[in-house]
Amino acid sequence: MPLLEINNLVTAFHTPAGRVPAVDGVSLSIERGKTLGLVGESGCGKSVTAMSILRLVAAPGVIEAGEILLRDATGAAVNLVTLAEPRLREVRGGRIGMIFQEPMTSLNPVFTIGDQIAEAVLLHRDVSRAEARGRALEMLELVRIADPKRRLDEYPHQLSGGMRQRVVIAMALACEPDLIIADEPTTALDVTIQAQILDLLADLRQRLGTAILLITHDLGVVAETCDDVAVMYAGRIVEQAPAATIFARPRHPYTIGLLAARPERGGHAGRKAGERATGRLRTIPGMVPAPQNFPAGCRFHPRCAFARLPECAGAMPELREVATGHFVRCPYADALGEPRRLDEPREQIA
Amino acid sequence: MTDSQSRHQSRSFQSQGFWADAWARFRRKPLAMAALVFVTLLAAVALLAPAIAGTKPVLCRYKGRIYAPCLGYFDRRLEPTIFAKDRFRGTYPRNLKEKDADSWAIWPLVFQDPHRAVRENEWPGRPANPAKDEGRPNGINLFGTDQYGVDVFAKMVHGTTIALLVGVVSMGLAGTIGIIVGALGGYFGGWVDMLTSRVTEIVMCVPTLVLILAVIAIVEKPTIWKTMAIIGATGWTGIARLTRGEFLRLRQSEFVTAARATGAGPVRIMLRHILPNALAPVLVPITFGIASAILTESSLSFLGFGPPPPAASWGSLLNDARSNLSMWWLVVFPGVAIFLTVLAYNLIGEGLQEVTDPRLREARK
Repeated sequence: MPLLEINNLVTAFHTPAGRVPAVDGVSLSIERGKTLGLVGESGCGKSVTAMSILRLVAAPGVIEAGEILLRDATGAAVNLVTLAEPRLREVRGGRIGMIFQEPMTSLNPVFTIGDQIAEAVLLHRDVSRAEARGRALEMLELVRIADPKRRLDEYPHQLSGGMRQRVVIAMALACEPDLIIADEPTTALDVTIQAQILDLLADLRQRLGTAILLITHDLGVVAETCDDVAVMYAGRIVEQAPAATIFARPRHPYTIGLLAARPERGGHAGRKAGERATGRLRTIPGMVPAPQNFPAGCRFHPRCAFARLPECAGAMPELREVATGHFVRCPYADALGEPRRLDEPREQIA
Repeated sequence: MTDSQSRHQSRSFQSQGFWADAWARFRRKPLAMAALVFVTLLAAVALLAPAIAGTKPVLCRYKGRIYAPCLGYFDRRLEPTIFAKDRFRGTYPRNLKEKDADSWAIWPLVFQDPHRAVRENEWPGRPANPAKDEGRPNGINLFGTDQYGVDVFAKMVHGTTIALLVGVVSMGLAGTIGIIVGALGGYFGGWVDMLTSRVTEIVMCVPTLVLILAVIAIVEKPTIWKTMAIIGATGWTGIARLTRGEFLRLRQSEFVTAARATGAGPVRIMLRHILPNALAPVLVPITFGIASAILTESSLSFLGFGPPPPAASWGSLLNDARSNLSMWWLVVFPGVAIFLTVLAYNLIGEGLQEVTDPRLREARK
């Protein structure tokens, strides 16, 4: 049974301009010890999904529907959407840890690193201050911070971005949670530091058996770390499959577009070694629609290279299983399965 | 690189918290530091007032035991009863020797009483304090005497307590109310914010001085404590508004979301995560508030609504001067004391603002 199961989650913001459904019927599940990558462009609702799990969505955001089931080792589940606030606080940081995007601002500037990790421990464990401090030191060693004893008494502003993110990871892991939600953990970091942090996360997952929900817009990060991938577009999951499948045989036009938009080392398939790169990166035409004016039917159809009108503008396609463990929200997914179609323009299909 | 240079460098790299850093900057501001030293001195004077000016021994040995009669200046009940039983009638120097030849005493620096005029030969060989407009400042009466012959220096030394207490107590109260109200409104928002903001605005409309005068007219025993309570209960609005703003801003910050994600509850987040970050900007109006509270109390005393006699605040000395304008020393000394104290608090407040607000820090370099 999955560790975390999200069913038909709807989170909307009630702004003066009207209701804005940022997350519109998302279902996900994460198995114990596995890593699920949640991918999508900015504004597709992936961060709101993450925040909804711990009910951290700030007003005027409201979780309107759906359930979020968290299971313990015996399989007993609690629904985080309806859980009473005091019990929810036990889950936050205790059973689910969270890592934020911006390590520069997610640490409290007026407390030392040691204090902050120790506080996370004290909130969930019945230990003395000294024991909590000992645990903090242990955690700093675990996330491989050099000279942890000295760092314990330093303030966040004295640490580099990479080190701060390690501290944030240490805080999230301090109470040995079953699940870590990492919301773009490497976006704000240098490329070299990114790799280090991803290595660290992968290593910790293996050692501690923690499941990870990794939210990112970086497909490279997904390729390196995830077991499964869910692609989100305009508040919905459009494709979900094991990572290897997504990269080898993407079936949704949006996923295909995302993969094609990556700068590739060695160039596109078919380019000979030594040949110069063709210059421009491919892009997906158009913009992500704002939630208040999602198009009717398939929300991707105005930007889709393979769209057939008027069918695609009619009814919202269902998420269906096209191969074992491979779910796609597109009626033409079977035809789009061939990798060679990647480069073909709209006219040839339509 | 010389040894002292390298030591200096290693020190600047040392681990420093926000307050340590602010203090290091504050120390480099000569005016603010001078003001801080002045206020510290005043606090020392207030605390040691009976040892600085008084007619009761700081310590004395009498009939085989050691007493500290000077504590009677803080509270009459603290004065050992044996001296009343032996009919000292408040005059110690003569009585001590007459009634116990073996006695000894340590006397205050200045033998002058804040509550009554010193009589002739009370201190062996010294004349009585001059009354009316005779009592110009001289070697015995440093700041002169008032129209009843009471020493102004002794009165002022003992009035320091009131001046400092008024500021600290009333702003302590105002700070507590202001921070709580502002924190609740800023953190919870919505109808809580609506309510606290409206209450703040209503209280803001109440004129403090007039309210105090009205209350003094109604209550049976007006004391300095009631005055402080009213100054505090009406002076918190600015602090509340500032705190609310800080909490509104910080509640959105990522480290607060991070704290919620580790399972911290609202009280913990407000007290431990937001308040320490909001404290620096809130401390500034509190310091300025102390200065204005001292001024308010002085104004009240000047109008004749000060602490009931025999206690005297600096403001009530000014009130005495009103009817005896020829006695310039009644105006100058308390006036200067009030001026300097208010100035000192304002300088401290400004210094605090400069060292804790990064924008000012850059601008004033």
